[in-house]
Amino acid sequence: MAERTVVAEAPATPPHEPHVPHEPRLTRRGLIGSAAALAGLWSMATQESAHAAPPAVAADVDPGALLPKLVRRITLGLTPAELTLAQNLGYDGYLEYHLNHAAIPEDANLTTRLSALTTLNMIPLDLFPLQAGQVIGELSEAQLLRAILSKRQLFERMVEFWTDHFNIDITKGDDRYLKTYDDRTVIRPFALDTFPNLLNASARSTAMLYYLDNTGSIAGNANENYARELLELHTLGADGGYTQTDVEQVARCLTGWTMWGRGQGTNTGTFRYDSTRHDTGQKVVLGHVIPARSAAAGIQDGVDVLNILIDHPNTARYLATKMCKWFLSENPPTSVINAVAGVYTATRGDIKAMLREVLKANVVAEAPLKYKRPFHMFVSGLRAVNAQVATTSAIRTQLTGAGHQQFYWPTPDGYPDKVDFWGGFILPRWNFAASMMNSAGSQTNGGINGVTVDHAAFFAGATTADAMADRINTTIFAGELPTAERNRLRDYLLPNAPTTLRQREALGLALSTPSFQWY
Amino acid sequence: MMNPDTHACPEYRELSRRGFMALTGAGLAAAAIAPACFPRVALAKDYRSSMRDVVIQVYLRGASDGLSMCVPWGDNAYYAARPTLAVPRPDSGQANRCTDLNGFFGLAEPLLPLLPAYQDGKLLIVHATGSHDPSRSHFDAQRFMEVGKPNDPALGTGWLGRHLAGVGPMIQNPLLRGVGIATGLQRTLVGGPQTLPIPNLDTFGLTGFTTSIPSRSSALTSLYTGAAAPLGAAATDTINTIDLLNTIEFAGYVPAGGAVYPSGAFGLALKQSAALIKAQVGVEAIAIDVGGWDTHDQQGNLTGFMAGLMNTLALTLAAFYRDMTTGVAPTFSLVVMSEFGRRVAENGSAGTEHGHGNCMFVMGNCIDGGRVLANWPGLGAGQLFENRDLQVTIDYRDILAEIVSSRMGNPNLASVFPDPAYTPVFRNVLAC
Repeated sequence: MAERTVVAEAPATPPHEPHVPHEPRLTRRGLIGSAAALAGLWSMATQESAHAAPPAVAADVDPGALLPKLVRRITLGLTPAELTLAQNLGYDGYLEYHLNHAAIPEDANLTTRLSALTTLNMIPLDLFPLQAGQVIGELSEAQLLRAILSKRQLFERMVEFWTDHFNIDITKGDDRYLKTYDDRTVIRPFALDTFPNLLNASARSTAMLYYLDNTGSIAGNANENYARELLELHTLGADGGYTQTDVEQVARCLTGWTMWGRGQGTNTGTFRYDSTRHDTGQKVVLGHVIPARSAAAGIQDGVDVLNILIDHPNTARYLATKMCKWFLSENPPTSVINAVAGVYTATRGDIKAMLREVLKANVVAEAPLKYKRPFHMFVSGLRAVNAQVATTSAIRTQLTGAGHQQFYWPTPDGYPDKVDFWGGFILPRWNFAASMMNSAGSQTNGGINGVTVDHAAFFAGATTADAMADRINTTIFAGELPTAERNRLRDYLLPNAPTTLRQREALGLALSTPSFQWY
Repeated sequence: MMNPDTHACPEYRELSRRGFMALTGAGLAAAAIAPACFPRVALAKDYRSSMRDVVIQVYLRGASDGLSMCVPWGDNAYYAARPTLAVPRPDSGQANRCTDLNGFFGLAEPLLPLLPAYQDGKLLIVHATGSHDPSRSHFDAQRFMEVGKPNDPALGTGWLGRHLAGVGPMIQNPLLRGVGIATGLQRTLVGGPQTLPIPNLDTFGLTGFTTSIPSRSSALTSLYTGAAAPLGAAATDTINTIDLLNTIEFAGYVPAGGAVYPSGAFGLALKQSAALIKAQVGVEAIAIDVGGWDTHDQQGNLTGFMAGLMNTLALTLAAFYRDMTTGVAPTFSLVVMSEFGRRVAENGSAGTEHGHGNCMFVMGNCIDGGRVLANWPGLGAGQLFENRDLQVTIDYRDILAEIVSSRMGNPNLASVFPDPAYTPVFRNVLAC
């Protein structure tokens, strides 16, 4: 599975080319400068993509002005350090820095913290005897710590993306153990690799095969669950041109794709092709004849299916659409989807190459604001105020209350990424922000156990309400907080020389603003 | 159990209200209607004719196996297709046999708690129903069913959300009209004014220092004034709803008639819903989800996993029925539905695959129940949808449309079900 050589896309905007003055709508300041503008934007965002203009030509865009927006799109929350990095590297340089994730030195603290989570690196044989709570807890803690602390932020955003794309409910039986194995051997190795490699790994993921019941599928009366979701959710999309017959044929091809049970030594819980369960007859999948094969050679049926799916134009379109939705908007422009799908086809699913297309400056410039999901909002809040996180269990409790604990979505479609779904339940966001700021490392005063925020360091040197509001604006919002919201936070800090409690609550309110809910 | 006749406001006898007199700030608006116990007494006498039903949608996520719920034991093809999963005939003498309903259909043993409502004539079972959309994708099928129109990905609002948007509220200046008992709003309710997802009605409040809640609440109100949709309305509704729900003592709520809700999420959701409905604060629509019905493997409809799901469902609905029909309470219509049924033939792993037609359960004060409404297409060869599934012979919207039209005060069915290809056919599911 060597990394495919990719011809990098030519940058949309040469970073040093003098730019033509752009329209105000292209900057975040312009975008969120007024409630009216936001409302208009929202209405734009909810239109069908047919109404969206094609991306502007490169000359329209000032990559420098886009940097805060780019940082917000490809990380789990803007920090002053990330913004500085982006400013130093420039638009394309910063993007390439994050795409080349393996070269980014990892946060030393994170590395230390992860090394203490011993189950992360265990094989199923060693996981099965443990308490499920420990295994799930360590994986969940790792996911949160990585999101908060990792320097490889775009990588973590893609881990989140693929975790939803190949969703597995961690509460189902052996998946309490096997999801850890799936995370380590499927999602993380290939999150920025190629889709063929990722799909091949997922199709052999015992966590997935168990979750979608392929482990019990037998010749003669195959289980269709995994086969259907492989087509519908993992590759072609629900309107991807397959029929019920195709589902049944794919299910036949995949009979025998299962896992080794317990008592099989180091094989325990790992992928097994069980030829005795395989349907050896001829199948036809999406018009492709898959010949009758001996049971021993029958694993090739599944491999053929995966290749048919990987090379199908609807897979290109479906993945391109989903990736654009992840980074750009719920209704991305058709022209951008087509361009990304073209890259998929040309590179046979090189994820980095696709991302270069999705994240071109002129494309990002046109993207309307996106609503953060609770996990994103929580993590970006912790990052924004440089919270020190000693343990994540209390954060995870609040995430559960907000409906977005990682790995707990029950159905294979993954957590929704739509404001229709998340927009109404805003209360847990406010409460998370408030309780985070009540924290002194404990739940005293309603704080979050294990989370500490040093408000004095945040406001260092700022003593007046105005100076503090400005500090919030520059540190958390890259100076782009709308004036009305900025002034409301200032008012909360009046009269000058606010108490510690007042300062901390103002910081909590900053994370509760409308502006902080979008990225 | 209190005697309802001794209290001026009997339906709230069990709802000890906390602190609505002490509401301040944003709470004043809530207080203006929250203690409307007194004016509502006048309405109570002719409530059933003058007011609309509260509608509750219970959605069985994952595609429930209706053939294991309302069992077509009179159709021999059922037994041929289900050698290990079929529910035994009522006259079989076997364990787990179904209970005959009408000489053809039987109620699965775990669902027997529903019999009292059925025998009261307040529970209707509709069979071979569902959406005509042929999709066997959970997610497409749920979406198209919830928006009320097959195969229209551009339609984003739900049938119940559009209903709420299309009719005036049941009370003046309501703060909350629709509730999804969920962390994310169900598609069914999208588009509804004053509609929020609330996973637990009892714990919906601001945390942090108690003493600063008024000032923080005020700051949040100010921050969100004029905020982009949907956040501006969501924030306003949230702050108003916090105060509203604070006036209802959910934790101490005592269901009427000695009804006991099962523990667990669904029991809590319907119990809290009953308290909310009885408080008459203007809530008209509630959506609740019950997951776990995607039984591809080891379905266990006789004694196992699905049997447990069915039993919890039935016990909870039975408790709600008893609670809401003992003494005086607002009228309701409750529908239980799922995105599609499951394949007639069982698979090789003691489970069932995605199918098409299914059954619905419809319960309420004015439901003409105590019967199974079906135009049964048969399960034999040549009778199946795409040679494998139960056909849909009654559009699920026919059932909803009649309730919307007659019990929810909304004659504009073309707005609730905006599908030029669909003309509602009333199936006479209402007794009043």
